[in-house]
Amino acid sequence: MLENFSFRTIVEYLPLFGQGLITTVWLSALSFAGALTVGIVLAAMNLQRGWLFRVPAKAYIDAVRATPLLAQLYFLYFGLPRLGLVLPELVVGIIALSLNSGAYVAEIIRAGILSIPRGQVEAGVASGMTYVQRIRLVILPQAFKVTIPPLLGQAIVLVKDSALLSLISVSELTRAGQLLASDRFMPAEGFLTIAAFYLLLYYCLKGLAALSGRWLGLQPARSST
Amino acid sequence: MIEFRGVNKWFGALNVLKDITLSVEPREVVVVCGPSGSGKSTLIRCINGLEAIKDGDLLVDSQRLGDPATNMTQLRTEIGFVFQSFNLYPHKTALENVTLAPIHVRKIPRAEAEKAGRELLAKVGLADKVNAYPAQLSGGQQQRVAIARSLGMRPKIMLFDEPTSALDPEMISEVLDVMVAVAEEGMTMMVVTHEMGFARKVAQRVVFMDAGAIVESGNPNEFFSHPKTDRSRAFLSKILRH
Repeated sequence: MLENFSFRTIVEYLPLFGQGLITTVWLSALSFAGALTVGIVLAAMNLQRGWLFRVPAKAYIDAVRATPLLAQLYFLYFGLPRLGLVLPELVVGIIALSLNSGAYVAEIIRAGILSIPRGQVEAGVASGMTYVQRIRLVILPQAFKVTIPPLLGQAIVLVKDSALLSLISVSELTRAGQLLASDRFMPAEGFLTIAAFYLLLYYCLKGLAALSGRWLGLQPARSST
Repeated sequence: MIEFRGVNKWFGALNVLKDITLSVEPREVVVVCGPSGSGKSTLIRCINGLEAIKDGDLLVDSQRLGDPATNMTQLRTEIGFVFQSFNLYPHKTALENVTLAPIHVRKIPRAEAEKAGRELLAKVGLADKVNAYPAQLSGGQQQRVAIARSLGMRPKIMLFDEPTSALDPEMISEVLDVMVAVAEEGMTMMVVTHEMGFARKVAQRVVFMDAGAIVESGNPNEFFSHPKTDRSRAFLSKILRH
């Protein structure tokens, strides 16, 4: 069985995989930055007491969570041009991933913020902090600590979801695997190789999350004095 | 400095503050005591607007709460508040806890705020803990950091909401000592506590509350030795029995 497995072809196609990998990395990074932005805005809207912001945010989050990413992607890619808005496929892909992942990020951030004890808010209020100062200085730094693990999970999902962009002919990693599979009729080589690269990305993300935790000074101080 | 005029507050149908009229003069120390649920925490939480009042007037530093002309965030910088559960920022060191609001709210330059912060921590006996995180400190130490944090804003008024109730007995005195020192410097204080030693030592007045109303108020020695009402006698006999 293994004698049919062509390592040589994989090596031959490595430059293509390399390009695909690089595209997957930067478009995922951009999309995740977009998702964080969308998520923070939605979470902020969703935490308001008045319905004016809360209801649209909830409706958006429900709509995104209830529908397949593929349907959302196809709507943006095929549907928007019919409505008069033509965007390059890469831009459509990044927008789709940002908008989709943003809904999940919003719920992660909301849960993180709600996990901060009421007393923390009161301490901020009592020292004369404004709403924005309380969020920035007291709530968010603590919420980040509890949200980093679920955000990492969401980042991993986003990287894997970016494979769907191969369906709108973005030359990312999965697209490279498809090309090898169809050019040489070697699906085993093609898709196993991209799987290995996705695994590599997964470990990179885990490492990054651990590092970011340290940069933010979130290592729990346990040593007693 | 603080003036309640016929203040009422409800939680739903529950009248938690009943027609409160009380005035606290500058440099005066007032101890508020009473059974649990009597409204004493709510009373002092109204002073910095952590709770809103329903009707009546509440004037703090000559400004009327709830008046559109009163800048609440500004007024709160003049009022220190010490919580029963400390509420220190767990992601900040002791020094950062003390300097956070001075730097960001009072806009004091960082170096200056840190110098003042170190002095305050030294004053509450924690010069060696400036870089410790709250989780590394005992309850008594945390509460002293919390007091230093409030003093860091150079407030005109300090409010204490059962500051020693969450502490182990051997840590109570270290916190009370700091509070006595603050009182002796002439701070206007309202303290919700059952610590009679503290009340006798520094308070000019004890206010006894029950079921949302002020039942009795007077000089601490007089109040603790000769309570005038049945309700206060019953209460004192309970807390004094052991």
